[in-house]
Order: sequence, then structure tokens, then C-alpha cells
Amino acid sequence: MQEQQQENKGPLAGYRVLDFGWVLAGAIPGMVLADMGAEVIKVETRQRLDYMRQGRPIIGTERDPEQHPMFHNVNRGKLSVTLNTNHPEAVDLARSLVAHCDVVIENFSPGVMDRLGLSYNDLRAVRDDIVMVSISSNGQTGPLRDLRAYAPSIGAMAGLDSTLGYEGERPLGLKHAYADIAGALHAVFAIVSALYQRRRTGQGQYIDLSMLKATVATLGAGLMEYEATGRVLGPMGNYDPTMAPYGNYPCQGQTPEDQRWVSIAVANDEEWRGLVEAMGSPAWAAEERFASRYRRHQNRHELDTLVTEWTSARDAWEITGLLQSQGVAAMPVMDAEERLYDRHNRERGLYQEIEHPALGVEPIFNLMWNLDKTPPSIRGHAPTLGQHNRQILCDMLGLSEPQLSDLEERQIVY
Amino acid sequence: MTYSLLEDVRVLELGNGISAAYCGKLLAGMGAQVAKIETPVTGDTHRSYGPFIDDDPHQERSGMFLYLNTGKRGLTLDIATPTGMGILRDLAANSHVLVHNLHPREMDRVNLSYEPLAERNPALVMASITPFGLTGPYKYYKAHDINLSAAGGISQGLGEAEREPLTFGTAEVGYFAGMAAASSIVMALLAGESVDAGGAPVGGQHIDIAEVETMSGVYNGPEALMAVYEWRMTRRTGHHSLDFPYPNCILRCKDGYVFAGSPEGRQWRRLLELMGSPEWSRDPRFTSRTVMNNEYADELDGYMEEWLLQHTKAELLEMAMEHRIPLGPVRGFDEVRNDPGLSDWFEEIERPGARALSYPNAPYTLPDAPSTATTPAPSLGQHNEEVYTGELGFTHEQLVALSQTGII
Repeated sequence: MQEQQQENKGPLAGYRVLDFGWVLAGAIPGMVLADMGAEVIKVETRQRLDYMRQGRPIIGTERDPEQHPMFHNVNRGKLSVTLNTNHPEAVDLARSLVAHCDVVIENFSPGVMDRLGLSYNDLRAVRDDIVMVSISSNGQTGPLRDLRAYAPSIGAMAGLDSTLGYEGERPLGLKHAYADIAGALHAVFAIVSALYQRRRTGQGQYIDLSMLKATVATLGAGLMEYEATGRVLGPMGNYDPTMAPYGNYPCQGQTPEDQRWVSIAVANDEEWRGLVEAMGSPAWAAEERFASRYRRHQNRHELDTLVTEWTSARDAWEITGLLQSQGVAAMPVMDAEERLYDRHNRERGLYQEIEHPALGVEPIFNLMWNLDKTPPSIRGHAPTLGQHNRQILCDMLGLSEPQLSDLEERQIVY
Repeated sequence: MTYSLLEDVRVLELGNGISAAYCGKLLAGMGAQVAKIETPVTGDTHRSYGPFIDDDPHQERSGMFLYLNTGKRGLTLDIATPTGMGILRDLAANSHVLVHNLHPREMDRVNLSYEPLAERNPALVMASITPFGLTGPYKYYKAHDINLSAAGGISQGLGEAEREPLTFGTAEVGYFAGMAAASSIVMALLAGESVDAGGAPVGGQHIDIAEVETMSGVYNGPEALMAVYEWRMTRRTGHHSLDFPYPNCILRCKDGYVFAGSPEGRQWRRLLELMGSPEWSRDPRFTSRTVMNNEYADELDGYMEEWLLQHTKAELLEMAMEHRIPLGPVRGFDEVRNDPGLSDWFEEIERPGARALSYPNAPYTLPDAPSTATTPAPSLGQHNEEVYTGELGFTHEQLVALSQTGII
């Protein structure tokens, strides 16, 4: 692995990114570009710490910006420079850095970069082929531009939450940062597309990405249901319009508190025959009410009850093995610990152990694509606050040591 | 809207469902020339799933197919025949990219692999989207959306503690795999133009994308830490979630539901003020919002709803804007579609044979990039003649014969 890392510079080697991104949606694009070989400089400040550096520390009770494992995940491999942009001299330094960069990422509230004098037009004056992406909840223009929002409120407004809940009951909502991830991954695609075009034309690009739109764009089924038929989906439970059985079924747990579940999905007659075979061909499975995809879907609730009888006396992994050997899709409902130690995830190196100076060895997830010649690679632990001030401000921008000390003293580099 | 950033990139897309199609759609939306290859006669499985325009089941009226395949050309080809595979190799020799989502078992069956394609076209970038990836003990496992959600760590946290875990309301994992494929393809194209340490061109490469890893990796990869630090955010606790500051949940309002959140203390103070600084907010039990959330959430829901039920979603959104509080109405797809702030973003696309539909555009705006209107999804085999005779040089007679023998 070590050797490979030295050899493999990644497909984005040679690109440099100035990363004002914070929390999740803003941090993830830079994280991805860093894993792919770009040099990513995170601009941050003690004046307004990244939320991911705040909160309860892991060790002790005193607040410590270095003790936040979430931060370590989404900022691994970046360099950190601290610039207090409340101060015009810090803004000038940021602008000077742009001259050395290819990409700028930011996800402040719309209007903040303009006020700082770091708008796309300002930056283009420094570097005319800069690619800049602004990630925001609702875009840089339009009536909802200034709405305060974060991933779960965006998910609610995008329609995502309206389908999440038990069939016919209240919406429960998705607790994950769906809108952050959808926004960040679309942003990565737009950035690399702009770099591709820049290589041909020499032109930079401004990218205005809306997390609300990024979420809506991934909700084709609900949107097209309304657009094509006028129907509005409500909470769906574990429902699929074409498959039955389709659900999470209870299995035998080690203890009553440790209830396990297995997901099973049957798409066609061949898979149905596989399921029946795995269940030992019970008599009910031959009944007319389950004889076709249509009949099984119509009678899915009765079918679920019967399948549950079979699953509930068995282990989730045993069922998975049995069904997969019959060509039927099944997987246990896995928790974090199980995923971390899972043999498949281990073999594929999904989580990599990275040592951080404050918290020691932590499991950090790898990217989900493997390019066989230029694979992604975690290039180092997340930076400590201002860890690379000297490297960036002195070596890259040419400040002298006394100048740096002076800027630190006046809390401009802060 | 179609931007021109990738206008010289030629892409072949092969497979069914969401993942490869969304990848192709993103690439096409950036200007790439994407040719979608479908199985003759039946086409992409999505053509038969619907939802169908006006509930009229027909392979040219599937809303999901039409959405996921805008901006592409359409070919038919049976790659399970040696002749068909030979034609695929001809097409790939003339392309920069091949993206597919054939299951590894299907790849073996039809003999689809990177090496023979790269022999003819060393610059080819091929992306294989599979449920569990091209290596590892689960390589040949099958998975639909619910199985990926289960193995990816989504379902364990969704639903109520004593009831079955839930998955996404509609199939979602494929979109994330599609985004991953589109980004990594463009990165591979960038890399392909550079030279390696020995001075040789990097050329094409094969990308292995495991759908499940979009969930267990980037989507909630940081949760692996929960196993280390014993965090509890994603236990199944109904509409609440543990260890967040209250409120962080969906509650009832006058005409539906609203997500109420206040991650910052000042947002919570503004919300209390808006609710008229109620008596209960001074209860000594309610000093830590995390304790409020973990121990008194049901009781607090009652207090909050007393106020929320007096207001509609529209009123709450207006108050959210004015007082800078992250309240988010839980909107149905009718409300999303009719949001005036999104009306310019939905693009109406005409297509022969049925009424025009409106589709979401890409979620980014590039004000300085030239753009053109999006072309509709292809009908089954719509561009066979154009590509097979116009570009591969088949005679019309050959094309007829290939069609009669079920290959095209």
C-alpha cells in the first residue's frame, strides 16, 4: 500500500484546490479531489470554526478542534491554512492563493463571498481560468436563496421525506445528510467536467449548485409518478411497485434485544422459484394466489407473513447464504460495527486505518470507485488547525517568517 | 438544458435501471454524445415498469425511462450473441467511454470484459457498476435497492425500534452509483491524457464501482466510527434521532407536516421567541437540548405541535425565511413540481406519441457555459440506422439482416 501510494499520484495530480468548504456538503468535494491526487488547501479560521470541529471532545471535557472524528473523515488528505477573513489582509492572502489554484470550493450562505470580495468575478481577475463552485441550499438566486436550511430540512422540501415512513402512516423522514451527499457528488462531477473543458479551451467556469435541486434530481420515481399520472406518493414502507416479496424480515437474534433482520427482494419467476427451493418448497408456495408476479404482488401482505414464519427461526447470514446460492437477492440489515468488520468490506479495503495525532488510529472510509491505473488513495490524516500555514504562506506565497509571526500575532492568520 | 463541457466525448451506455442510465444522463447533460444500448424488442427494463403517462402501459410511455434517458441516442443490440458482442467491440473502438451495470454473472455469461475492448482501443475508459464490486466474497451476490440499503447501513436507522427497518421511499442507491460513475469517468479521461512516471501515456482504464459502497462509503462512511465511539445517531427511533439538539424532527402542522430544526442555539432562541416564549421553555428539565431530545422528545413534540398546528406550511416557510430558522415543510411531489422557485428549472420536453412532460434539469447552473435545449429520451432503436449504417458503415441490407435475426 505504501509503495503504491508513492507511485500512484492519482488522476488529478497537478491540480490545486482552494477549499473554503465546511461542514459536510462543502467538505466532501475537496475530500474527493484530494483522494484523487489534487492538492487541497482548506481555508479555515478559529474565528468561526468548522461545525465539524465543534462539540464534545472524545477525550476529556475541554473543547478541542482536533478531536472530531467526523471532521477527520471528510477532511483527510487536505492541507490547512487559517485565515481570519473578517480582516481585509486575510482576504488579500486568500486572493493571492487563488492565483496558485485551479479550483475554488465554497458553501457559505449566498452573498458571503461577494461581501468578502471573493466572488467569481473577483477571483477571475486574479486567475482568469479559475473553476469555482458555490454549493448552497437553494442556489445563488431565486426566492429561497436566503432560507436557512440544512440537510434534513432540504430533504423535507425536496419531497424525499414524504415517502419515508410505514405505508399509510405519518412521514418519519430520513435522518441522514442525503442532501449534503447528493449536492457534494454532483458538485464533483461539475468540477471535473469544467476541468476537462478548460484543458481544451483554457476557459474557467462558475458553477452554482443547489442542494435542493440535487436532491430533487435523484427522486425520479416520485416526480414522474406525479408528472405522468397526477398521483402523489405518500409514505411507502418497504414497497416496490413491481417486486414481492420485497422487505426486511425478522430473523433469529442472539438475545431478544438483538433482533436481526434480513432484506429479501424477488423480481421474477426464476427468483421466486429460488426462494421456494431455499424454503424447502412449502405447500403454500404452490398455491394459486402466489402463482405469478402479479398474484404475488396483489397478495404481498399474506406473502410477507408466510415468509416471516420461515425467516424468524433462522440466522440472517444463514438466510443470506441460502438465498444467494439460489440466485435470490438478500442481505442482512447491517449496523456500523458489522460493516466495519465485514469480510467483503475488509477484502475490498472499504475502511482504511489512518492515524491522527489527536485520536490515534481511526477507520476512514475509502471512495467507492476504483480506477485500476490511478486508484483513489487517502493521502494523509485530516490536518490540524493551521497545520500548513508556514508551508502555504511562506513557501507558496513567499512571506517571511517575521511577516507570518506578525500576521499570527494580529490574528489575521488565525 | 445541455451544457457543452464534454462535447467531444463519445459514450456507450449499456444496462438497465437507474445507475448506468443516470451516469449517462449526467454525461449527456454536460454535452457528451451518449448512445444507449438496449436489448432488442424489450429494451431497458424501466420501459416496462412505469409509471406510465396517463396510466397507459407502453414501452414509449414510462416516466422513469423518459426521465433517466434524456439527451441520448438509442440503439438496440443483443450482446449475448457473438455477433452482437463483435458489434459492441466495433462501437467501443469508436468511443471514449463505456459505462454499464451488468451484474458480474451477466458479464461472465455474455463475455463482457475490459481487456478485449482495450486491445482495440487502448484509450477506452470502462466503468462497471455492480452491486458489490468486481472483487470480494459477495461479488456474485444479487441485490436490489432494499438489499443495498440494508447492507449499506441505511435501513438499520430507519423506522421504529420494534418494527421492521425501512428503506428509502423509492429506489435511490442507483443515483449515487450513477454520480460516482460519471465523476470517476471524467477523472479517468483527464488522467488518460497525462503520462505516467515512465513517460508512457496512461491511456484508458477500468473503473470498478460497487453500488453498496456509495452507501457504506461516502453516504454514511463516517458512521463506521459509531462502532468505535459508540455513537447512537442512527438507531431506529421513529421520527426522532438520538444525540441531536432538540428539535430535529418532523412534526405536525395545520395542513401537513414540517421538519423543525435548530442546530444553532440562536436559531432555537429565535424559534422560542416566535412561539411566544412559552412557559414550558423555562422548565428546569429543559436546559440541555440534547437531554431534551434524548429524554423528553415526545412531551416536547406536544408543546411544539400546539403552536405548529395553528400554522400552515406556507406560513411556516415564510416565518422561517424572516426569522432565519431552518423549518422545512414536508412537501409532496405535487408541491415540489409546482414550487414557483423551481418552475424555470423544470424543462418541458416534447416527444412524439404522447403529451410533453416536464423534467428536472441538472442541479447546477453554469452561467458562462453555452447551453442548448435537452433532447428527449430515444425510442427503442431510434438511432440504429444513423449509427450502424452512418457511423459503423453497415449496408442497409446488413442492418435488415441483423434486425431479422434478432441481433439489432
